[in-house]
Amino acid sequence: MPVLTDEVANSDKFRIEENIHAEELPEGLTGALTVMEMNDAPIVFSIRSDLNLEGVGCTSWMIVTEKEAGAVQVNADGSLEKISGPFSLSDAQKVRTFPTVGSSFLQLRIHGLYFDVIRYSNAKRETFGRALQQFERVLDGKAFQSDAISRPSDLVCDKCGLPLPGRGVMCARCNRDHGILFRALEMMRPYFGLLVVLLGMMLAGVGLDLVPPLLTRMLVDKVLVPHQNVTWLPYILIGLMAASALRNVLSVFIGRLSSSISTRITRELREKLQQKLVSLSVDYYNRHSVGSLMSRVLWDVDYFQGFVSQVSQGFLLNLMLVIGIGFALFSMNWKLALLVIVPLPFVAIGTIYFWKYIHPIYYRVSDSQSKMSQLLSGLLSGIRLVKSFGQEEREHQRFEKSAGYMRDNRNLLDRSIATFNPIMSFLFGLGGLIIWYEGGHLVLTDQMSLGTLMAFFAYVGMFYGPVSALSSFSNWMTGFLSAGQRIFDVLDANVSVSESPEAVPLARIEGSIEFRDVVFGYDPYVPILKGVTFSIKPGQFVGIVGKSGSGKTTLVNLICRFYDAQQGEVLIDGINIKNLKQEDLHRDVALVLQDPFLFSATIAENIAYGRPESNMMQIMDAAKAANAHNFISKRASAYDTRLGEQGSGLSGGERQRVSIARALLCDPRILILDEATSSVDTESEQEIQKALSVLCKGRTTIAIAHRLSTLKNADWIYVVDEGRIAESGTHDDLMAQEGIYHRLVRIQTELTRLETEG
Amino acid sequence: MSVAKTSRTLFASGVTRLHPENARIYEGDSGLLYCVVDEKTLYRGVFAVRLFPIRHPENFISLNYTNDEDKDREIGVIENLEEFSEETQALLSRKLAHHYYEQRISRIYRVKLDQDMLFFDAETQRGRESFIVPWRHDRAEEYDEHGKALLDVRDNRYIIPNVFDLPDRDRQELTRYIYW
Ligand SMILES: Nc1ncnc2c1ncn2[C@@H]1O[C@H](COP(=O)(O)OP(=O)(O)O)[C@@H](O)[C@H]1O
Ligand SMILES: [Mg+2]
Repeated sequence: MPVLTDEVANSDKFRIEENIHAEELPEGLTGALTVMEMNDAPIVFSIRSDLNLEGVGCTSWMIVTEKEAGAVQVNADGSLEKISGPFSLSDAQKVRTFPTVGSSFLQLRIHGLYFDVIRYSNAKRETFGRALQQFERVLDGKAFQSDAISRPSDLVCDKCGLPLPGRGVMCARCNRDHGILFRALEMMRPYFGLLVVLLGMMLAGVGLDLVPPLLTRMLVDKVLVPHQNVTWLPYILIGLMAASALRNVLSVFIGRLSSSISTRITRELREKLQQKLVSLSVDYYNRHSVGSLMSRVLWDVDYFQGFVSQVSQGFLLNLMLVIGIGFALFSMNWKLALLVIVPLPFVAIGTIYFWKYIHPIYYRVSDSQSKMSQLLSGLLSGIRLVKSFGQEEREHQRFEKSAGYMRDNRNLLDRSIATFNPIMSFLFGLGGLIIWYEGGHLVLTDQMSLGTLMAFFAYVGMFYGPVSALSSFSNWMTGFLSAGQRIFDVLDANVSVSESPEAVPLARIEGSIEFRDVVFGYDPYVPILKGVTFSIKPGQFVGIVGKSGSGKTTLVNLICRFYDAQQGEVLIDGINIKNLKQEDLHRDVALVLQDPFLFSATIAENIAYGRPESNMMQIMDAAKAANAHNFISKRASAYDTRLGEQGSGLSGGERQRVSIARALLCDPRILILDEATSSVDTESEQEIQKALSVLCKGRTTIAIAHRLSTLKNADWIYVVDEGRIAESGTHDDLMAQEGIYHRLVRIQTELTRLETEG
Repeated sequence: MSVAKTSRTLFASGVTRLHPENARIYEGDSGLLYCVVDEKTLYRGVFAVRLFPIRHPENFISLNYTNDEDKDREIGVIENLEEFSEETQALLSRKLAHHYYEQRISRIYRVKLDQDMLFFDAETQRGRESFIVPWRHDRAEEYDEHGKALLDVRDNRYIIPNVFDLPDRDRQELTRYIYW
């Protein structure tokens, strides 16, 4: 039978060095070149796959020599069989991976047609991503980089080999517990004194809990049964009352103290998390969904809220109670006390059963709740769409279905609990009956006083609760540890774009920008920018054009240092951007995006976001320059207009202009407009252009635009195509070249003509 | 604007329909798929994709090719594969198989949760195998009405066509964790 966990996790399948071999053929493939009818030539590399072209699982290899490429499959008996090739590399124009559903092909383009060389399952994607890069180098006549093999996989934990749930995610196993409990306790250190007080009060509380049964015993044995010492009665009652009053007073203080400690801790933790979250790089946010991060700050932290009370009241208090009561029981009558333990296995079984079968239903319920609220929020935010398509009825049905799902789960939960609880109490009741039987026997034979039996019963009643609480504590702990794991995961995350220790402060950025052979990909194996070199002088107005997806925004991301280039350098004022203080960079570089983000605050606050100290006149100047002043002043609350979530309440073009004003107010040395005027109508665009042309004086401006007419006056235009600078020059130069730019302009004039005619 | 008019214009600018009268599909040189449209245009290196892979896997098949500028373009859509000759049908099924690689789960023997990962021991058409699926919503997506598509840590696809077709015990094993 297949073994779970370790074997699946650790198999060599995932290890890159087992899968790519440089220079020589791996074992068992010695005859491969003959089988593949390939000419003898030095081998560059070979790579293992897990499928043949038909999609049958098998071991197969692609072999790349200096002259040819092809693939073989290794049959069960060890014999080799040709899959594809040989393809002559001198005929190959290009190599690509062609992803299909669940598997991919590595293909060579020969005489304009793509031929399959080898097929691989998704498990091999990372390995083949590296091989593709090397294959491209071979086609370019460059040498194989051994780094492709030696660089550890991003998808496997370096320590234990367990596959990671995602790129760059920490291995849950190697970081298991990993002192999470210790770190959580560490966070309590400042409250050490208070915690000692808390424990002291709890101990006193347990002591007080043990008192009433003893008094009752005295009442029964010394007063009621023998009809003696009648004067004791009021004193005993006063004693009972005092114990109960004191106990409750203690509870008040314990509750208050533990809540005050835990709220302080959680507040600290939330603040730490929030601080960390803003300092993390953009890259981190690509890898983690905003939803999951929000839930960490909002809900996972709640586990810490419970930590103090769970550890103190849930664990320590119950433990003390179990020990204290156990001690009392055994000291009264150890034989009877042993009987008390008889139902304990049931308590344990019950608790385990509860967590195994009933607790998952809680998940279902909360899941159905969140599904329903998702549905509802989707419905409400899209209400205009629903109405305009007249789909109210269908939405109603969808909601009904979701509500039904929720009802079913809730029902299941309630029914399960309604069955579970009585069964458990019946079992405990049975336990009580045994004690009645034995204890009654002892009392009847005068081996035990009635008072002792009653005290015994009182203790037994207090005993099972803490026992069951203790057994469920481990479950709380599991939840706590995984929540703690997720929180520390964020707190420990590397700031992947970090400031170099030698970073030099720059009082003022002049605004020259230079790219030197920059290679960058969001996924390190799939470069988006493939060797970009250019330079921009201070004060220049530079246009960047290119098809969508060509890498324009990516270029900008590197200038703003949201990411670091994998190869090459980005320089500002001749200084490598890695050696600049982030503060200076962000002070002097302003970015206006195509899809501007506005906070839910007033318009004025949004404009002043980067310069909160600006005065009202400055804010208005900026708005005026961005051609926003007029529409703002027409509103009833003008600059005090409060915007909704993500700037709702403004049209797309208006939002755009507010965001331009926001950038202008910062008086940046480098202004980057990433398709910033594309959702503004032509007329306002022209006005903004006019304003910009004044404002651009004296500062470096990079404008990415797909309406090419806006770039006519640019000092220089770069045309980006598939991650490379394909053309550059002034508008007139580029028109004369009759290349990509020329074609784009022609298409657009055509379109404009159509628009004006239509 | 009348409904009829819209749909006619939609039709004119919509997808190209391929049927035996206007399309000839055959296997050309070195096993590549060729397609001749209107006996005029020859496309080589054609690949086929299902447009409704779940509900209509045998129909609505899109044929594509890579043009001179290295861009993938659609030639047209086969609405009903059965109109074509047996031979063409067999050829296309074979080519379609190239485009899909997923395991169909028939039994689930055991699911074990460890560190937010589900370790599956299951039976697929390949035989009994083990795989690891991160325990997250986006790793077990809806598939058809009552099915699930599991994506393991390596993004390999495992399909449960219909959860209710699994034996009771297997289903319980699954829904204990994948309850959504
Ligand atoms: N955060 C990201 N993660 C992965 N790939 C991305 C990301 N952002 C953009 N890309 C990819 O990078 C390429 C270039 O994108 P981009 O620079 O935004 O293009 P442009 O701005 O020229 O339209 C596209 O293929 C896009 O899919
Ligand atoms: Mg862009």
